[in-house]
Amino acid sequence: MNLQIVMEYTPEILAGVVVTMKLVVVTMVLGLLLAVPLALCRNAKSKWLSIPAYAYIYFFRGTPLLVQLFIIYYGFSQFESIRQSFLWTFLSESYWCSILAFTLNTAAYTAEILRGAIKSVPQGQIEAALSVGMSPIKLYTRIISPQAALIALPGYCNESVLMMKGTSLASTVALLEITGITRNLIAETFMPLELFFLAGVIYMIISTIMIGGFKLLEASLSRFRVEI
Amino acid sequence: MNSESHALTIDNLHKSFGDLEVLNGTCMCADKGDVISILGSSGSGKSTLLRCINLLEIPQQGDVYINDELIKMKGEGSKRKAADQRQVERIRSRLSMVFQSFNLWTHMTVLENIMEGPVQVLNVQKDDAKERAMAYLEKVGLADKYACYPSQLSGGQMQRVAIARALAMEPDILLFDEPTSALDPELVNEVLQVIELLAAEGRTMLIVTHEMEFARQVSSEIIFLNEGVIEISGSPEEVFNNKSSEKFSNFFAQGRTTQ
Ligand SMILES: Nc1ncnc2c1ncn2[C@@H]1O[C@H](COP(=O)(O)OP(=O)(O)OP(=O)(O)O)[C@@H](O)[C@H]1O
Ligand SMILES: [Mg+2]
Repeated sequence: MNLQIVMEYTPEILAGVVVTMKLVVVTMVLGLLLAVPLALCRNAKSKWLSIPAYAYIYFFRGTPLLVQLFIIYYGFSQFESIRQSFLWTFLSESYWCSILAFTLNTAAYTAEILRGAIKSVPQGQIEAALSVGMSPIKLYTRIISPQAALIALPGYCNESVLMMKGTSLASTVALLEITGITRNLIAETFMPLELFFLAGVIYMIISTIMIGGFKLLEASLSRFRVEI
Repeated sequence: MNSESHALTIDNLHKSFGDLEVLNGTCMCADKGDVISILGSSGSGKSTLLRCINLLEIPQQGDVYINDELIKMKGEGSKRKAADQRQVERIRSRLSMVFQSFNLWTHMTVLENIMEGPVQVLNVQKDDAKERAMAYLEKVGLADKYACYPSQLSGGQMQRVAIARALAMEPDILLFDEPTSALDPELVNEVLQVIELLAAEGRTMLIVTHEMEFARQVSSEIIFLNEGVIEISGSPEEVFNNKSSEKFSNFFAQGRTTQ
């Protein structure tokens, strides 16, 4: 292995890191915003809410992320009406198509994680909240969310790291994130081993940082989990 | 139904779970300052009765009045529900329930547990709520534990915190559902002593309990529930000396042998 090459191309790949990080951060924020109402709908008593949410989650968990990305990137452009609409300013760009696909996908997984976490808050504590006259909104914001968030955190960390690694699929729609740039460099240099190895190390560093961040968050949230 | 004013009126309550009829036309009244103990064997519907009062369960039929205000319902049978969510929340805030399993909010300290209802539901200022919470903690003898989380307390301490939490709402009626049943025997007394203190203060209370001797001492009235109907009710002397109900005699005898 030629380490010289690795050092030489590191700055170029680091430009891809910025793109990957942007994808990850935007996807995590939008995905979470979408996952919360999805999880609430999935838990709702009304079939009109729970069945569509279930169908959504079923679809996005049951099909490959790459297929979802291709449907959005190649599929949508076939509709004249989409190409005419303002949406096209976004959907014609591989960056926004990737964001959309990753967001819809991670929202489905995150919703399932949140749903389970919400369900695991003890019924007795919910009854205690209702019995003092809390409104459903207060119940969720004051009693359920703080506990569910902590329960959901390890699963959500896992999902976020998987999603981060999944962003490498954006290279298939010509987005120059870490993997995309690496592939371009390999096409120039014919050194797949060194450069893919470098890309792998960079992904590993990012996931290590993410996991560390989640650990810190968990520690700061779980001060009430006193070991006895 | 007479027109006198009552703290609580329950009129012809019916509640079933599937085919199982739990409450079967239950009627009762409580006046201000009454301490009513509800006895009955396991599965006789004691918890269900209490839970219908604050609408944790919706009775399929029958009415509940708190301070002569009817809790409005709509719909029929299993589709029946509260007509006015705001009214339910307001009425629930006038009733406080103490549960068998304490149900403290585990992500909050003792102090936060007690302040939560007053601050979030009654909109009491934080400082006032804190003062109030500390006063009630003092009353249940746990002022030094205010900064603990529930996981750091014993069962008896948790239940006393739960009682302080209930008191902090300054409710019109306190509902106790077997407050000592989940406790180790040596922790039962500390909780019963607190409830006795509250009875002596003239608070209106409904207490589901298996502690016969305690019920006899603190109650102004005792109700014996059997298969969803009130089989006997009256003063402790009347009920405990009543030989006419075979069911109660059996229940009483069993209670004796298991104590
Ligand atoms: N949510 C529910 N769904 C189905 N059945 C229920 C439900 N809640 C209570 N029941 C049933 O209703 C009956 C009365 O229950 P309830 O809890 O009121 O009894 P209880 O008198 O409080 O008994 P215990 O002394 O054991 O607490 C029991 O047979 C119980 O199994
Ligand atoms: Mg019970």
